Amino acid sequence: MQTAISAAPHTPAPGDHDYTVTGIDSRKLGMWAFLASECLFFGALISSHLLYRARAPQGVKLPHDVYDIPYTSVSSFVLLMSSLTMVLALAAIQRGDHRRLRLWLLATAFLGTVFIGGQVYEFTTFTHHGVNLSSSVAASSFFLLTGFHGVHVTVGILWLLSLVGISLRGQLPAEKHLQVEIAGLYWHFVDVVWILIFTVVYLVPNHH
Amino acid sequence: MADEEQEATGAVATEEPPSTPELEAAPGHDQLLHGAAGHAHPSPAKYVGIAILLAIITSLEVAVYYINMPDGLMVAFLLVLAVLKFSLVAAFFMHLKFDSPMLRRVFVAGILLAAVVYTVALLTLRVLV
Repeated sequence: MQTAISAAPHTPAPGDHDYTVTGIDSRKLGMWAFLASECLFFGALISSHLLYRARAPQGVKLPHDVYDIPYTSVSSFVLLMSSLTMVLALAAIQRGDHRRLRLWLLATAFLGTVFIGGQVYEFTTFTHHGVNLSSSVAASSFFLLTGFHGVHVTVGILWLLSLVGISLRGQLPAEKHLQVEIAGLYWHFVDVVWILIFTVVYLVPNHH
Repeated sequence: MADEEQEATGAVATEEPPSTPELEAAPGHDQLLHGAAGHAHPSPAKYVGIAILLAIITSLEVAVYYINMPDGLMVAFLLVLAVLKFSLVAAFFMHLKFDSPMLRRVFVAGILLAAVVYTVALLTLRVLV
């Protein structure tokens, strides 16, 4: 009897309009489905870079020739730590601590901005070394991959700042912590994608 | 006396909220009652511990890059460390370890599909061999 009841799908109560029959909030399920699709998106960009990473006209530098691993390691570390501040923001709103929520959200946005600033500096340095979007197919695939990742980080920063604004207006009570959790899922995903990019694009040796 | 106790117990039971064990076991019931955070998330101290672990793994990655070793071995080390970092962030910071298994399945399906599709493509194009 118990098994039969347990197996029955839950009927959402009035007011539970955001919940699906699975019991998972539709916004959260939707974000996870979006992130799953993003795996294919970034998978395509990483694969195309692996395919073209060694292709450049004779005498033209490859991205690999101008990488600054210590610099990018620090940049990667900054993004990794922004995942910590993001999850601390979620913990803060779940405790109802709105001051710390805003503090951690701003810290996350700041670390994200430092990462983007680092990427802009890196791109500028590469350009000065003759590696730009059109110098070779290897460089094109590199800028396409890291550029799209940078756009994702930028969208994440804007999202976090908008949450800070909503919180300052008093429209982000503790019951609406899911809004922070969903933004956090996006932010952490951007972080895990960079974990792969840093390893596969920067650290894995490229012999040409 | 026993009947009186039974009646009293019955009376108390009817006043209880309808959170019977059967319903508690129903899929998603906990989340519907307590919101998406109904599951126990780690403490902030544990989050900091995970972040320290991630920092150590990142240092190891950079160290492996500078150590002289055969390329195959280096790539294997780097990929294992990257997968470890990826898993730690997904499990603890994204709460996949604590959330509904359905969310884990949705995300893992995306990862597996991408891994299979692009591995086959790169093998076909002789990039991975």
